[in-house]
Amino acid sequence: VRFVDEFRDAELGRAVSGQILSLVEPGRHYKLMEVCGGHTHSIYKYGIDDLLPANVELVHGPGCPVCVIPMGRVDDGIAVAHEDGVIFTCFGDMMRVPGSEGSLLEAKAAGADIRMVYSPLDALRIAKQNPDREVVFFAIGFETTAPSTALTLKRARAEGVPNFSVMCSHVTIVPPLRALLESPDLRLDGFIGPGHVSTVVGARPFEFIPVDYGRPVVISGFEPLDILQGIEMILRQLADGRCEVENQYKRVVPYEGNLRALEVMAEVFELRPHFEWRGLGFISHSGLKLTEAYAELDAEVRFSVPGIRVADPKACQCGEVLKGVIKPYECKVFGTACTPERPIGTCMVSSEGACAAYYNFGRFARDREVV
Amino acid sequence: MTVLRVDEARELALCAAQDGRHETVEIALVAPVRPAQRLLVHAGTAIAHQDGAA
Repeated sequence: VRFVDEFRDAELGRAVSGQILSLVEPGRHYKLMEVCGGHTHSIYKYGIDDLLPANVELVHGPGCPVCVIPMGRVDDGIAVAHEDGVIFTCFGDMMRVPGSEGSLLEAKAAGADIRMVYSPLDALRIAKQNPDREVVFFAIGFETTAPSTALTLKRARAEGVPNFSVMCSHVTIVPPLRALLESPDLRLDGFIGPGHVSTVVGARPFEFIPVDYGRPVVISGFEPLDILQGIEMILRQLADGRCEVENQYKRVVPYEGNLRALEVMAEVFELRPHFEWRGLGFISHSGLKLTEAYAELDAEVRFSVPGIRVADPKACQCGEVLKGVIKPYECKVFGTACTPERPIGTCMVSSEGACAAYYNFGRFARDREVV
Repeated sequence: MTVLRVDEARELALCAAQDGRHETVEIALVAPVRPAQRLLVHAGTAIAHQDGAA
């Protein structure tokens, strides 16, 4: 299989679905977590859920970069955006994430100079074009996006762009997975490993899951056949009594990851002692900040960042959704007070958020026939 | 994205997306890169080659 349309072949999909059916034990309930928001989106876009036996349940993990940003961090960004002379830049999804008193989009409407960028390099270009202004890039995302920020910071230093800085809110994937595995609320049978994060970190960081917690992990791609095959490989491990990290996405993911990206990240970032995640609270060594060598490009050093802590709105259950404890349609405000047009929680903002995936693809409940 | 043209000195490549959109991509993490190769791009930076068959 080589071309995209082959990875979406319905006949092949039904064949893998049949293999999955042959691997499940009747009477046993399987809970598999897809870690990455990109997988959640694909699962509902392509109806993969409908090709699974009723006793195979997919639980949605914390791998949507926008969804895990807490409200207080949005408030911090808005505070920096309101500083005199600042051009505040961020990815498009981040613009609509609600803070305690509105979103960056609303702050822009109120007069702050906030601009959407596709890449941190775009923010650096804006800084070069506006030497009399301070340009701040609000960096979010997992290890997939962090190398891009790191390379941009190296360029900014090499080219001497003094009016550019980064407000770093990058996070890492392993600590929240460990936190979930320690959680008494959730019993999982296996993980669909994050395909794109793994292109950078490789498969090795996930070895603790089978070793310490006895759960299989299969790193998978994002096309329908990738995900179905990933599920089949997890269920085959369980049926065989095996438990290991396997790589379904070998066409993109090397076992060792991208060593150059890891090197650049190690030069530019270091782990924070702890970082707050929406719904998951503070997790040790889960967030990145700039190293001392890059402190002059750190917006949190350059500006007064309030460090606001805000509790999520009581009606919003993003925390439980991110932990896989409830399904999006079980949230009290899903599809009523909280919609993609007027989101209350982050999971409804990003296209990778579980709530947005359910809403956009019409999954208001999980009533289905047994395959 | 598919590589159209490479600027090795600046470690940048002009790439085309499936929808035909063109974009300048940072290639420092995946160099060397040749025209017609396919790259996985995140936030304007190529993080992996995408040429292997499954």
